[in-house]
Amino acid sequence: MKTLKTLIDQCRNGEATYQELVDHVPYARFLGIQVIPQGEELTFVLPKQDNVVGNPTLPALHGGAVAGFMEQAAIIFILLQMGEPRVPKTIDFTIDYLRAGLFRDTFAECRITRLGRRIANVHISAWQKQRDEPITIARAHFLLSEENSDQDSQLA
Amino acid sequence: MTKSSKEFTRLDICNRFLSSVRHSVVLGLEVVSAEEMQVRVRMPWREDLVGNPETGVMHGGAIFAMMDQAGGMAITCRTFPTFEITPTIDFRVDHLRGPAKGAAVICEASCYRLTTHVAFVRITTWEEGNDAEPIATGLATYTRMQIDSAGKVVA
Repeated sequence: MKTLKTLIDQCRNGEATYQELVDHVPYARFLGIQVIPQGEELTFVLPKQDNVVGNPTLPALHGGAVAGFMEQAAIIFILLQMGEPRVPKTIDFTIDYLRAGLFRDTFAECRITRLGRRIANVHISAWQKQRDEPITIARAHFLLSEENSDQDSQLA
Repeated sequence: MTKSSKEFTRLDICNRFLSSVRHSVVLGLEVVSAEEMQVRVRMPWREDLVGNPETGVMHGGAIFAMMDQAGGMAITCRTFPTFEITPTIDFRVDHLRGPAKGAAVICEASCYRLTTHVAFVRITTWEEGNDAEPIATGLATYTRMQIDSAGKVVA
């Protein structure tokens, strides 16, 4: 298997697809996450499929699957911004559910609010019908590097 | 309490709830115990739920989904014997440490405040056998939607 760094370098100069990077992560394959590059922007897709259904009678997507999809989208997004890519560790993840997730494809985009040396703050938005009608929005912090620190608690 | 409700325990209702939620079944979630003020859920480690292939640590998203499901069941335990649909309003999870590769995780959810329209829930998660050192904590709110006698959801 290619190392993560090789794979990311190849993604950057077009020798590998972003999908290969997504498929590198077992959980991303489990959810069936896809990625659509549009110029330099990335849109992530959680395709509708039975395994991500929560309430079967509505039917509605499981909120946990949508959250996991958004968290993974943010991780891929940050990886592509890092000089020395290492899988970011999620410190915290906070999600607001605004509308029901219907049984249809879900899309997500990420925005890095602050990319520090050690910590990244990312905003993630997910929608189904229209981008400006999000079904969920989330905010998360990721630990990028543990250099000069033996303890996760010494974050600052 | 009606006669029929006495035949079902909180554990029965939680198991029935869980088995109806496809994503939770696929994650391999199991209800360990269900009491009025707390419910425990277990998720076995599995290769396809790994978030970092280099360490084998389970993905935060899988842990989140378990905690969200447990939170919903914590409300079921409070409203027992009535079953309500309770969509999540918001949920925050803090990942305190990474669970070891191969370790099952257990979470305990408690609905510590129930109002007419809103349920407040907190959740703690640890590696099986090590409840002294939680791997994640969560805080969530859910909205209550009652189901009338005709089976319709009432906001």
